[in-house]
Amino acid sequence: MNLFNIISELEKVDPEIMDRLTHRRSALTALGDMTKKMALAAAPIAIGSAFNKAMGQNNSNATVNDILNYALLLERLEYSFYNQALNAATLSTTLTGDARTAITTIRAHELAHVNLLTAALGSNVSPATAPTFDFGANAFTTYAGFLTLAQAFEDTGVRAYKGQATSIPRTLNPTVGGNQVNLLTVALQIHSVEARHAAHIRYMRRGATAGAQTSIMPWIVNKDANGVPDAVYGAGVPTTTFPAEDNVAQGGITALTTMLGATYSAADVSAAFDEGLDSTTVTNIARSVVKF
Amino acid sequence: MSNITKSGGDDAEFAKPLYTPIKRRSFFMYAGATAGATALLLSGCDDDDDNNGTQPGAVSLGSGDVGVLNYAYALEQLEAAFYARVVASPFSGMTTDERTALTAIAQHEAIHRDFFKAAITAAAPTQIIGSLTPKFDNINFSDRTSVLSTARTFEDLGVSAYNGAGSLIQNSTYLLIAGKIVSVEARHAAYIRDLITPGSFSGSDVVDANGLDVRRSVSEVLTLAQPFITETINGDNVGK
Repeated sequence: MNLFNIISELEKVDPEIMDRLTHRRSALTALGDMTKKMALAAAPIAIGSAFNKAMGQNNSNATVNDILNYALLLERLEYSFYNQALNAATLSTTLTGDARTAITTIRAHELAHVNLLTAALGSNVSPATAPTFDFGANAFTTYAGFLTLAQAFEDTGVRAYKGQATSIPRTLNPTVGGNQVNLLTVALQIHSVEARHAAHIRYMRRGATAGAQTSIMPWIVNKDANGVPDAVYGAGVPTTTFPAEDNVAQGGITALTTMLGATYSAADVSAAFDEGLDSTTVTNIARSVVKF
Repeated sequence: MSNITKSGGDDAEFAKPLYTPIKRRSFFMYAGATAGATALLLSGCDDDDDNNGTQPGAVSLGSGDVGVLNYAYALEQLEAAFYARVVASPFSGMTTDERTALTAIAQHEAIHRDFFKAAITAAAPTQIIGSLTPKFDNINFSDRTSVLSTARTFEDLGVSAYNGAGSLIQNSTYLLIAGKIVSVEARHAAYIRDLITPGSFSGSDVVDANGLDVRRSVSEVLTLAQPFITETINGDNVGK
């Protein structure tokens, strides 16, 4: 195994690899230490983790850029979804009045998120331009169907941001648009806006023209899908970190229903905590309803 | 000296979730082993989290992660007490749908409160704050506008508090739990706001031009919460 070739290969993928590593010798030492402990068959994985480790220690921006590009993908998807809805001839007579105002507000927020993330990423934006999102022939056929998809995207978005919270270094304070910001705080500020959107969309579905689904609450009760793909409220990977939305265990307390000195229903306990989701599960959910 | 020893013991207990393999790896990846160890030591060095302090009616939230948990516990106590009153004595004209939703919110807040009580008791039993005495003198519980505007204040305040405190939390398990709660508070906020003014779920008074929700520092939040709490809350060392 030629370590110099590996570094060279990494440089092809990431021209700035040597900048990220303090100097070549430390990279080789790290790789050397790894290989002593690992079978040769496992080397590619070992190299990958050594590479990530170096990124994490010397310049966490590489990992964070992945998170930001992932968030950007979701925001681009949401913006495109609402933009297509507002321009859909099929919704022109049903998506009206307060409903159109609300969706216009939400679209503006998603665009603001796209712009903010784009500014934060700078030259690291990937892909450089938004992909084309194909929501299928029936996404905007009916008002009720559109809102069902909207709920899916908003609730998934909330889970997606939450799933990344612990991966963002809490002391990372980049300059975005001339202002120094704390990246974790910004992510949380987007996260709660998505939750506000989700609550409103869910309440819109109670309306007469949306099918009068008056059992839908602004929050997620158990893992009730309300016509949305079940995976949106299902478990992620690992299940222990990202359980399904009907989870009633938190912080090592295995049943909040009975172990808090009072009795609470599983419906209320599950609704009191929104669960996070990993990026792979989120991406799979997105690809199950959108082509991009 | 005995106080320091006791305090350190609680923090060792508190830090346990860090010692799961994944948590430890991510924690050390970013913080560095030395910084991490220092942070844990520092969080053990609270010098003024003694809740039976000299001032009668004064409550210190403490420092480090325990301080953040006490901070959340204090706010959840406030919200839970408020909604318990709302459900017990409904404002005139409360619809069946509103009663259902407000009852659910009351349960969510009670669950948050009891969860923090249990979590802090398990992690740092000597550092948990006591039960606070709510001060709702200026709320007219029979009046819809008074109740809903107070609810909006509490929910938006809660969202801004969790958003502002996230970066203060060192333990990733508790950061994730805070994330699980804040989005529920945001859902509450959106619902309450829509009850007051339909379509105001994410109005420009709470979501700025960058599409960002409000975040507030501990002191900003406590300044706004203090009028509703009898005890004087000191959050000077929360997260430090």
